[in-house]
Amino acid sequence: MRKRLAALSFTEKIKILEKLRDRERAIAASGLRKRAEPGANNKAAKESRK
Amino acid sequence: MKATLEVINQMQADGVIGEYAIGGAVGATFYLEPSATLDVDIFVALPTGRGGLLSLSPIYEYLKARGCAEKDEHIVIGEWPVQFLAPRDALEEEAIAEAVVASVEGVETRVMPAEHLVAISLRTGRAKDHARIVQFIEQGAVDRKRLRTLLERHGLLPKWTLFETSYLGGGRG
Repeated sequence: MRKRLAALSFTEKIKILEKLRDRERAIAASGLRKRAEPGANNKAAKESRK
Repeated sequence: MKATLEVINQMQADGVIGEYAIGGAVGATFYLEPSATLDVDIFVALPTGRGGLLSLSPIYEYLKARGCAEKDEHIVIGEWPVQFLAPRDALEEEAIAEAVVASVEGVETRVMPAEHLVAISLRTGRAKDHARIVQFIEQGAVDRKRLRTLLERHGLLPKWTLFETSYLGGGRG
């Protein structure tokens, strides 16, 4: 998969970069990342130890 | 990106900047699989101003006159926040001079050579820079012999040896 992506043309890769950038922006704007940060990971870790 | 690069190329044609090269994550994407980034790093050779001083001000003035907005250390061109960086040493000057010609949607642009991207990442040394170097090595996207010569020329071989030991199992090139 990584090799296939690396073999794309620069134009195609830039289109993917733009989608990734827009997704990052949407996540940042929604505040999801902030809410998920401190408690969520710890909770998940605790759950996995049960 | 097409619109962004067209503006930068026009800026070069108008003499506001000299040669330029895309670096950072977007530059690395020319050689590797795409990895998320929010901005574009453009390394620019700046024409010397009055009194021999180098300044990014003419770039900002030029772009603001064309409706681009400043945002923190970036200026937004098209849909991309762009950070213009003057080369801070011989390594970065060489990266601009030896940049590779690339094309995005038919618009010609210039990207730093893979070996220079690796050398600059090594020098910068954040976790994400180290991860990027590993990608270059694992994917065979860098000429190891050329890289070694470059690192030697710019005094980065000791740092490379440490990096190899820590991340590449040591002594492979």
